[in-house]
Amino acid sequence: MELNNSKIKIKAKNLNVYYGKKQALFDINLDINQKEVTALIGPSGCGKSTFIRCINRMNDVIDICKVEGSVEIDGAEINEKNVDVVTLREKVGMVFQKPNPFPKSIYDNIAYGPIIHGAAENKDQMDNIVETSLKKAALWDEVKDRLNEPGTSLSGGQQQRLCIARALSVNPEVILMDEPCSALDPIATAKIEELIDDLKKSYTIVIVTHSMAQAVRVSQKTGFFHLGKIIEVDSTDKIFKNPANKMTQDYITGRFG
Amino acid sequence: MSGTGHTVKSYEEEMQSLNDNLVMMGSLTENQMADAMAAVIKVDKESVDKIVKNDGKINELRSTIDNQITTVLVKRAPMAVDLRITISTMKISHDLERIGDLAKSVAKKVKPLPVDLPDELIGSLRRLGDLVQKQLKDALDAYLNRSKDKAIEIWKKDEQVDDLTNLAMNEVATYLQKDKKNLEMATHLLFVTKNIERAGDHITNIAESLYYLIEGEYLEGARPKGKPVES
Ligand SMILES: Nc1ncnc2c1ncn2[C@@H]1O[C@H](COP(=O)(O)OP(=O)(O)O)[C@@H](O)[C@H]1O
Ligand SMILES: [Mg+2]
Repeated sequence: MELNNSKIKIKAKNLNVYYGKKQALFDINLDINQKEVTALIGPSGCGKSTFIRCINRMNDVIDICKVEGSVEIDGAEINEKNVDVVTLREKVGMVFQKPNPFPKSIYDNIAYGPIIHGAAENKDQMDNIVETSLKKAALWDEVKDRLNEPGTSLSGGQQQRLCIARALSVNPEVILMDEPCSALDPIATAKIEELIDDLKKSYTIVIVTHSMAQAVRVSQKTGFFHLGKIIEVDSTDKIFKNPANKMTQDYITGRFG
Repeated sequence: MSGTGHTVKSYEEEMQSLNDNLVMMGSLTENQMADAMAAVIKVDKESVDKIVKNDGKINELRSTIDNQITTVLVKRAPMAVDLRITISTMKISHDLERIGDLAKSVAKKVKPLPVDLPDELIGSLRRLGDLVQKQLKDALDAYLNRSKDKAIEIWKKDEQVDDLTNLAMNEVATYLQKDKKNLEMATHLLFVTKNIERAGDHITNIAESLYYLIEGEYLEGARPKGKPVES
C-alpha cells in the first residue's frame, strides 16, 4: 500500500535470504521512501538486521549467506555482478548498535573514508569535510577543540554521532541504522533521535529499533517483521494506533507469545 | 480487550481495573438517571437529597479513573488497542460524569415543582426520559460487548431524542400560553427537558468513543450518505 506521493528510493522484491540451509527471510517485498525514516520492528531473530544488510550487500561478507531476489535503489538493481560494492556502501552508509569508532583520532575517524576515495585534494579540503560531517552529525561544537583526541575517548552517545559523521563524510544517500540507541542513555538517545529527524531532510533512513516509542517518534513508515516475514507495513501512525494485523497488534501492545 | 492478555501481568491488571471502574461508574450513572426521572414524574421531593448526595460517588470514580489513566500513560505508553481503550475510557468517564451532573440538576428541579403536575406534561417527559435511559443502558451494554453496530444504532437514535425533546418543549409552551401564571413551573420543566436532552448528547459521545475504541476510526467518517457532517 502506498501512503503518499513520496518517491520510492529502495525497492525490495521477493527477497529470500539463507544462512546455509536455514532460511532467514521469506519473500520480502518492501518499498522505502526517499527522505523519510522507515522503522523496522519485530522480535529478536526475525530478520531485521539481515534485511537491512541486503540494502548495502553487507551479507556478501558472510560466507554462508545467500541472497535471492531483488533490491533496487533508484530503480537500479544492486545485486548485479558488476555493481561495485565499495561505491554501494558509500552510497548506503551504516551505523551499528554498538558505536565502533576506529582506534584513531576523532579527525582521522572522519577523514578515513574520504582519504580512501581521494575525495580531498589538500588539507584544507579535508578539514572542510571533517568539519561539515561533524556539524551534520551535531557533534562539531562538542569536539572542535579536541579533534586529535582518540574517538574512543568520547562518551557513548558522542561515539555514535561520530560514527554517523563518518558515514556522512562520503556523501551517502541512504543511512541504515541497526538499533543505534540500544547502548545509549536517554539523553544521548534523544540527541540521536533529534539528529535523525534533521538528517531525513537530506537522506533516506532505515532504522531497526526495539523501542516502539522510538519508532513512533522518528519514523514515518513502519514495517513489522516476524519469523523472517514481513507481516505489516504502513504509516507509523496507523501501525501504532490501529494496526490491521492481529500479530502486529499483539507485538506492539506486549501481548506476544 | 484483545483475546490474549498482556505478557506483563500488572499491565493486564491495570487495564482490567480501569474497565471495572468504568463499568461501575456506568451502572451508578444509570441508577442516578433512573432515580432522577422517577423523582420528576412522581414529583417525589423526598428522594432529591439522596440523588444529589449519590452524585459524589460518580465524581470520585471519575477522578480515580483519571489517575489510573495518567499512571497507565506514564508507565506503559500504551499502543494500538490499549491506547484506544485508554483514551476512550477517559472520554467515556467524562461523559458519564456529565450525565450524572445532569441527573442531579434534573432532580434538584423537583423541589420547586407543584405536586399536581398536569398529566400531558408528565407523559411527554416520561417518554423522553425512557428513551434516554434506554440509550444509556444500550451504550453501556455496547461497551461491555464491544458492539460496533450497537454504537452506530445509539448514535443514530439521538435524532429521536431530539424529536421527543421538541415535543416536550412544545407541550410546556402550549401549557404556558393557557395561563401565564404557570411561568415558574414551565421554566423549571423546560430546564428539566433540556437537561435530559443534553444527557442524550453525552450518550452520543459515548457511542462515538466506543466506535473509535473498536474500529480505530472516527464515527463521523462512517456517517451514512445524505447526512452531511456538521462542522
Ligand atoms: N551470520 C549468521 N549466520 C547464521 N545465521 C544467522 C547469521 N545472522 C543471522 N542469522 C540468523 O538469521 C535469523 C535472523 O537474524 P537477524 O537478521 O539478526 O534478526 P534480528 O536482527 O531481527 O534480530 C536468526 O535466526 C539468526 O539466528
Ligand atoms: Mg538485529
